[in-house]
Order: sequence, then structure tokens, then C-alpha cells
Amino acid sequence: MEAILQKDRLGQWVAQLSTRARVFAPAFVDDVWGYGPVETGAEVPLDHGNTTRPPKNFVFPQREVLYRFRVQDRHAPQITPTVPEPEPAVVFGVRPCDGRAMVRNDKVFTCGVVDPYYQARRDKVVFVGLACSAPPSPNCFCQSVGGSPHSEDGLDVLMTELEGRYHVKTLTARGLELLDAARSLFDDAGAADAGEVERAHAAARAYPQRTLASQEQVVDGLKRNFDSPKWAELARACIGCGACTYLCPSCHCFDINDEITGTSPLAGERVRTWDNCQFPDFTMHSSGHNPRDDTGSRLRQRVAHKLLYFVENHGIQQCTGCGRCITHCPVGIDIVRVTHEVAEV
Amino acid sequence: MVAIEDIRARARTLLESGEVRAVLGYQRGSAGTLAEPAFLTEPQQAASLVWDPTCIHNLALYLVNEKKRQRTQRSNDKRPLAVVAKGCDSRALVVLLQENHIDRSEVVILGVSCEGGGVIDPRKLTRALAGRAATTVAMDGADAIRVGTASGETTLPASELLADRCLECARAYPELYDTLYGDKAEGRSYSPRFAALNTVAEKPLDERRAYWNAHFERCIRCYACRAVCPMCYCDECVVDSTEFVVTPNTSADEKANRIRWIQRSPDASESAMYHLVRAMHLAGRCIDCAECERVCPVNIPVRLLNNVLEREALEAFEYVPGTDPGLPSLISSFRDGDPNDFVR
Repeated sequence: MEAILQKDRLGQWVAQLSTRARVFAPAFVDDVWGYGPVETGAEVPLDHGNTTRPPKNFVFPQREVLYRFRVQDRHAPQITPTVPEPEPAVVFGVRPCDGRAMVRNDKVFTCGVVDPYYQARRDKVVFVGLACSAPPSPNCFCQSVGGSPHSEDGLDVLMTELEGRYHVKTLTARGLELLDAARSLFDDAGAADAGEVERAHAAARAYPQRTLASQEQVVDGLKRNFDSPKWAELARACIGCGACTYLCPSCHCFDINDEITGTSPLAGERVRTWDNCQFPDFTMHSSGHNPRDDTGSRLRQRVAHKLLYFVENHGIQQCTGCGRCITHCPVGIDIVRVTHEVAEV
Repeated sequence: MVAIEDIRARARTLLESGEVRAVLGYQRGSAGTLAEPAFLTEPQQAASLVWDPTCIHNLALYLVNEKKRQRTQRSNDKRPLAVVAKGCDSRALVVLLQENHIDRSEVVILGVSCEGGGVIDPRKLTRALAGRAATTVAMDGADAIRVGTASGETTLPASELLADRCLECARAYPELYDTLYGDKAEGRSYSPRFAALNTVAEKPLDERRAYWNAHFERCIRCYACRAVCPMCYCDECVVDSTEFVVTPNTSADEKANRIRWIQRSPDASESAMYHLVRAMHLAGRCIDCAECERVCPVNIPVRLLNNVLEREALEAFEYVPGTDPGLPSLISSFRDGDPNDFVR
């Protein structure tokens, strides 16, 4: 359903939702955009570019305890499951690229085998998207990877900013519940509003963005150039940090370790943490052999996973064009340029 | 004035004669306003070199990285690398020479003076432009920076845009070089040394604890601060064990008992441990290029941790790192006059 919310009523809506869920919104803290809890009565300005840290943490936190264990007197270990039971959460201000990334994360964690940890968190979080009126970053390229500034994929609600008000469109049953929780705050959307939304969306699409060649061209080009010397050349400045993938809304690789909390009796936690294909130990074999032992092959892994392997496995590109990996790379490595140069498109 | 044409001409000559393997400098990138590191191997590429206040990267890092690369690729090319070096970058080279990590014959230094200016802090630029993207950034004299955007050009005071370390830098010229570009501008700084550190160090202990806890809580452990540091050249770092080999004979106990100094879990305590280990390893070695702080995607003021130890070295041992390749390094030297009241 579609409705209109006057801007000065946003605070009331948030306050209403706060009674039933934790509410998060983009917050600018220490010069970094991230998501923070909205204090009761606080403003939700929704004028952010895009957050530095993507909203994937809500469903796939950097650290997840899989279970606790305890070993006593040579008995079999006692295992205590720790599937999370999070409070319901509503996240405001999610950009459409990050909504689309959530669809990719769902594919990885819930298609076929369902990851109970991911699913438990996913079930409890509702994403309220905010359509972009202009590209929030000079490195945006959502329209080249099948998205748009007002894409609805992966979101429960999409808000579009109009003059003095928001157009609010519910996309799922859970989204509709958010509106139903405070129906009196919303006005009906009329035909004039629909026209204005269409104009706003068209204007947003018309903003120039960076462009990436078509999915077919990229898939074909990356396949043909798997052994290209360009990978090493373009990765020569790479310092081997993990900023690109840790800030990516759809990177999902993880590592599993045991963290010991006590030795007598032996007790600890089996923990899942994010892992990073740009790190030297990511593909380290126990034999000591490392099949990706230089920055070139690691860059290839990152780019090809986004734009080739994911297409082969799931039929869609994993990258949603948010541009974070470009903007935050300490040395300016640019997935668009790298793809074009390697794939020769 | 630094004439970029002179640097390009020198790079071209070096590449034409084949006396260097490559020239490391700066070129325009496609990712945004900042210049990006350039690896030039052909003389005609020299024309792409640029010099402006967005040439932030400390290219000394690549001498270290290229050395590793050559080792893994078993390259026999013994020719030196030419590197464009600002004052701070040249001091990093001095430390690498002092520590015998590189030999003077391995590097040709194209020293560039900041001439009393410096490089910008990209976050300050973003703030000053209220989020608009800059297309060009150039010094306008020593006190102003001209910034071009899609909607025109503005000139801002240098003190508002320069990186903190540049504001505090009194030696914004190369310490060591083969050729020098620009004039040595002596004894000039906008802020007193350790000005940024003092704003935090003067807080009471519990406030400081809360300050750092909040920052470490935010750390995502991407290790960009470590990866960008020319002094972090250990083959293996405590945070990622690439040398721990498991064979069919490795027992479960051995695997379980491997010491993990720092867990992968990014909580405030583990991240504090990581940051303190990193800072301690730079005591008497950090030359304050502040790349660690610039590259942090979540804006943790890691430079200040290095500054604490830098100040210790200065106050206790009158030691300033990176001034003279002939001097022994702080950690490997002892003078009769050194304070020793902690030895009991």
C-alpha cells in the first residue's frame, strides 16, 4: 500500500515503532556514517549519503557465537547452542543498493541450506529503504548492475522524499505492519502524489552515474581473461588490507575459530567471524601452500566473485554498485576500472 | 615552486636509461579526488605523473612490498626503484636504511619539498565542501588551497584542509634525496608539535579510557593501518598466522594450543590489543606520515597512539626518527647518558 507521511510526523512514527522494536537510523559519529539506535524523541534526519558500514551487520554480524562448549573429565564435550534471539529491529534509511545486497545475502545463507543464525536475525529485522534523489557517492553505479536509485528488492518499505513529505510504499507484510502501527499519522496517497513520485524517481535515474559494462560482457570478458597479467598490474598498489570487502554490503565470507574462555575445565565458544579474501591467510592451506599468494590473484578473487562466480552460481551479479570499495580503498583501486581493463570491455 | 615537468623529465630519463626498474610516483586516479600511486616502467608513462596536495600516500611502503614481491617471484633484477618522496616519506626511507631493510643502492630518491604546505586530510575536505566532490586541489601559495568542484572554484585556508600531521610538521622537505624539487622551507608549522595528541592526552584517565574504548569498539580489523605502514614489514604478523603449518602428524592438542595472541573477534579489548601491539612496534620508528589514520575506514585516530611513543622517544632520549641514515636506531643503541632509573 502507498501512503504519505508529512516530514514533521516522521519522529512520531519512529516513536510509535520504538514501543515495539529497536529502531536504527543512519548516524554520523566521529565523521563516519553508520547505523545507530534512535533515542526516543530524537530526530531522524535521513539526509545521509550512504553509510560507510553497510547494514549487513544486522543479519550477519562480524562476530557470531555458534555454540558454547565445555569438556569435563574426559567426557564428551557438552555443547550449548547459541542461536540468537534478537529483539525485533526496524532499520531506517537503507539505500536501495544495500537492500539489493540483502537479497544476495539471503541467497547465500538461506537458499538450499538455511543458516539458522542468519535466519534468526533476518526474521527479526525490517528494512525501511530510502530512495536516492541523487547519487549519494561519486562512485555509485547501481544502474549498471541491474539496480536503480529506487529499487525495492530486499526492502520492506520504500520511502521517497517529496516536497515536505515522504511517499511511503509498503513492499512486504512486515512493512505493512509498520504502517498499521501508526495509521493515523499517514495520509492517503493521491494521483498527484503518484505523479510526483514518478517524476522524483525519473530525475534520480537521470543523474549521471559511473557505468559498468553489461553483465554478459563482463562475464564473458572475465572468463576469457582469467590469466590476464592485468590483475597483477592493477593490484600492484594494493596494500592488502581488508577495507574493500569488510565494507561491502554483500561480502559474506567467514572464518570459524574456537575461543577458549577457561581451561579447567576446558570451556569456550565456537565463533564465526568475517573473513577476507584480501588477507594472506584466507586461502592458506594446512600444507603451507597458498594458491592465492599475491595481491593480483586476490584482487581477481574479489572482482570475479562479485561479477562472475556469483552469476554462475546464482544467476545474478553479487555487486550492487554502492561504490564503497572504490571510495574507501586507501590506494584508489576501482572495481569498475579493474573490470573494464581486465575484461577488455 | 615544484615544477612537475622537472619530475617527469627525470622519471623519463631514468626509465630511458634503464638504470631503474620502475619509478614510483603519483598519477590521477579514477576513484575520486586523491592521486593514486603510480608504477611507471615505460618512459612515455612519465607524462602521467602529478604533484599536488592530494599526493598523500607514503610510497616508501612500496619499496618494502616490491622487495617481498621480488623475493616470491625470484626476480634477479637488481636495479633500484626510483621513488617520489615528500619530507615524511624520505624519513621513512631513512628508517628503512637505518634498519638495513633496504640498501641505499636499491633506491633513487626524487625528493619533493612540500614548501611549507603539505597534503590534505580528505575528511576535512569533505567537511569543507559539505559532501560535494572536489575535482582539483592545488596549493595557492603556502597558506591557501584552491579547490575546484563541479560548481566552480573556491580558495580555502590551508590550515583548514591540511592533514593534522602537516599542520604540526616543521620539516616539510626531504631529509635525504638524490634530486630535490622545490625549496626547502625551514622551521614552519601551523600547530605546535603533538597538538592533536595533547587534546586527548590532557583528558583525565577515565575520559581517555572511554575515548579509546569507543574507538576500538568501532574497529573492523581490516588492518589497513598495518598494511599501509612502511615500517610494518614483518613476514608474519601476530594477527594472521600464515606460517603455522599443519601436517598430518600435527596433533589436535598442538592445533588447539597454538597461541593466538589476538582473537579474530573484533571487540574493544581484542582490538585494543591489536592497536597497542602495532603502536609499540613503531616506537622510535614511526616518522608520523599518518597514513595509518588516513586509511582507517572508520576514522580511528591511530596516529595519536604512535605520537605517544614518538613523544616518549623525544623526551626520554632526544631521539627524532628518520633524520640520519648513519645514526643507529633508537632501539638498537645505548648512550651513557640515557635515562636508566627504571633499571633496579
